[in-house]
Amino acid sequence: MRLDFVKVFRDSTSEMLQQIVGPVDEMDSMSMHAVPLAGRDVTAVIELDGEAQGRVIFDMDSMTAMRIAGRLLDEPPPVMTPIAQSAISELASMIIGHAISVINDQGTHVNMEPPLIGDAELARTEMCFETLTFPVQTLFGEVRVNVMIHDLD
Amino acid sequence: MLEMTQNPASLRAPLTCLIVDDSAFMRFHLKRLMDAFENVVAREAANGDEAVTEYERFKPDIVLMDIVMPGQGGIETVKQICAHDPAARVIMISSLSYQEKVEEALAAGAKCFVAKPVTTEQLRQAIDRVFTASV
Repeated sequence: MRLDFVKVFRDSTSEMLQQIVGPVDEMDSMSMHAVPLAGRDVTAVIELDGEAQGRVIFDMDSMTAMRIAGRLLDEPPPVMTPIAQSAISELASMIIGHAISVINDQGTHVNMEPPLIGDAELARTEMCFETLTFPVQTLFGEVRVNVMIHDLD
Repeated sequence: MLEMTQNPASLRAPLTCLIVDDSAFMRFHLKRLMDAFENVVAREAANGDEAVTEYERFKPDIVLMDIVMPGQGGIETVKQICAHDPAARVIMISSLSYQEKVEEALAAGAKCFVAKPVTTEQLRQAIDRVFTASV
């Protein structure tokens, strides 16, 4: 596990959420798990490859997702519409894109795939991945982030 | 130079714009930002192939181009567009804003690079810049 990269992802999550969604409260609780802690209603997954590989999973309950999407769209959606899903997906993409830019500028080449958005099934895996998990509290509810990243070799 | 804040909309032709992003939200958001400028006609493309086709058909004054898209990404798409029209005014808009990627985008033919999340003011400055550069 590249803990230095995990810190970049954590900093980027706070910075981007603050910039795009509003004030955040960084909880001081980063924990390590054998599999991702992602079972909430709305899940976004972004695969990473290059000199370091892995994935980042965001999950949140549907109320939080709808409220965040409402903030981005300037209008709260009545349900998790496709455009609301797209807003959450793009938010995850901006967070990870920002983190990857920092990592690349530090000299490690990492790329990202376009995000996948769906329900908790999206994050389900039979394989074990050492995962660092941290929550970020926004005005609209908690966003949980799982980071799995390791060197290619 | 395009002085969008000073030129009365009625005195100039519409500014035509092609928004290229696989994210429906980003297309919506960029169109919303462009609507803040008067007299803009915007079209959308959700991937690189659509973008090339729409560019040929629409010949927009500016293109707002994402980088990370399924299939053909934004950099390859800019290369294709600029191969046919080296004067194309492409503004890259991406969260991938590290030095090497910015240089790659500019080498591909983009005239300007703006990091996401983009604001109305950043977009205004970028549009002014690409019109200034093409004078």
